[in-house]
Amino acid sequence: MSGAAQGSQDTAKAGLASDSKDNSQPLQPQKPGAQLEEDDEFEDFPVEDWTKEEEVGSQTTATHLWEESWDDDDTSDDFSVQLKAELEKAKKS
Amino acid sequence: MDAIFEDFAAAYAVESGYGLAATISPVPPKHDPARFYSLHRSANAFSVQTELRSKLQYSPIVQLDKQEATAWLEVFVAFHKLTGVLLSAEEAENAGRETEARWGQVYEVWKEVVNALVKGYQSGAFYAWTIPCLYVAGKYLRIFAIKADDSAAAQKGNGFAYGGIQEEDAFGTGGKNEKLEDAARQINRIFGLCVSDRAPLEDSRKWALYYVTNLLFKTYFRLNSISLSKTILRSLAATSSDMPTLELFPKSHQVTYKYYLGVINFLEEDYARAEEELETAYGMCHVGQSKNRQLILTYLIPTKMITKHQLPSRGLLQAHPALSALFTPICTAVRTGNIKALDDALAIGEAEFVKRRVYLTLERSRDVTIRNLFRKVFIAGGFMPLKEGETTPMRRTRIPISEFATAMSIAGAEVSDGEGGIDSDEIECAIANMIYKGFMKGYIAREHGMVVLSKVGAFPNTGV
Repeated sequence: MSGAAQGSQDTAKAGLASDSKDNSQPLQPQKPGAQLEEDDEFEDFPVEDWTKEEEVGSQTTATHLWEESWDDDDTSDDFSVQLKAELEKAKKS
Repeated sequence: MDAIFEDFAAAYAVESGYGLAATISPVPPKHDPARFYSLHRSANAFSVQTELRSKLQYSPIVQLDKQEATAWLEVFVAFHKLTGVLLSAEEAENAGRETEARWGQVYEVWKEVVNALVKGYQSGAFYAWTIPCLYVAGKYLRIFAIKADDSAAAQKGNGFAYGGIQEEDAFGTGGKNEKLEDAARQINRIFGLCVSDRAPLEDSRKWALYYVTNLLFKTYFRLNSISLSKTILRSLAATSSDMPTLELFPKSHQVTYKYYLGVINFLEEDYARAEEELETAYGMCHVGQSKNRQLILTYLIPTKMITKHQLPSRGLLQAHPALSALFTPICTAVRTGNIKALDDALAIGEAEFVKRRVYLTLERSRDVTIRNLFRKVFIAGGFMPLKEGETTPMRRTRIPISEFATAMSIAGAEVSDGEGGIDSDEIECAIANMIYKGFMKGYIAREHGMVVLSKVGAFPNTGV
């Protein structure tokens, strides 16, 4: 980045302040794919302790978290349809 | 000065550890945002001694003995010094002069506050109910160290450090985490101070242990020295017989501890233990803390794929859009048995997965993907005609290897023999692997080119 070379010559304070931001960029290359929040640290809880009712596990919506990875009911996705057709074809030939 | 001392006396009178800790917090209370300015201006480094001494020693409200009063005096004298350097660092930063904010100095002066506190505990001057002061001490050691390292890095980066302006922080001889590494040592010292307390449990600093342990975990993770966490776990285990059980600690301590313990086990590939800790952490987490919930799930989701071959429900992913973006492509590939889509999803998300330390675990979802694909072949095979005496139709359990080959090539697995055909060894290997790992029950009848699957539970735990 050309800004880096400039920054070392430029002694104006404003220039330095903004350059320090520019220069931090190459250290953190853009990451492709899905992004969670940049700072991935476990946060301090705003309160020390809480009641059972405030727990995630006590929420009524929290009952259904996981499902089986095989999906018996759904054979209508494109991939399953294609698979079925190819298998039929292979059987006949 | 009066304001701080009034708060101190009020907290002391009711033995409120958190109230006391608030008086040495480097974040001013909401109701008194200008507190540090007035504290800093009300006294200089010399007059603060005498003023505070008279308040602490001769206060009719708190009545400290001489040793305790002296110990607190040292803490507050250091704290007074801190307000000076903290205010100028914040002023510089707020004015856009980040390079002049001397966070390294703030860190060093905060360490003086911490040292004064530690000394007070070591000499037995402070009661165990005051331990929230140690929480504040450790918490800001970490925060100021990170700020100091960041600003040192920024100054080195833009050549400011070589521009002839004196800035001791920038010339630090250590690596880029110099201060944070020091903070880890200081927090470890606080850990030692608590773990070695021999006082009876009701009046023991051991009640600070999980909070301090969590701070150490957090610091070690940031330093990428996760193995050091094991040393702390060993010290905890060694003292567990004369320590309150985890359930007796505040939930914030419990959930954080279980999160880190879960992630440590996850990284060591002890997925059963990881699942247990992470699941408990999730269930107990405060419902309003969505970022922490999300972090727990970031590790629980890959764990569940390994331990139970389960995927997050659509509802769960919908509630966390960031997690959905991260995991939905993988989950869809696993569910449909689409090997190519799985490879693509792993490649696209690789950088993010590696950063979150989940890549290697996600890679292992390949087995489940193939299991699901082969299961589809089995389901597509349909049923055998009813034989005499049979009431329920049997699924076709003798399946040509060629059908598995077709499925694998549609699914985008690399099974080509390089001549436009399919490498059948590759297919048989995949099938044998599934059988060996218990994903599929049956055997390969090579001479017939068939896979003979078990009539009952050919694909264990999947209903067929």
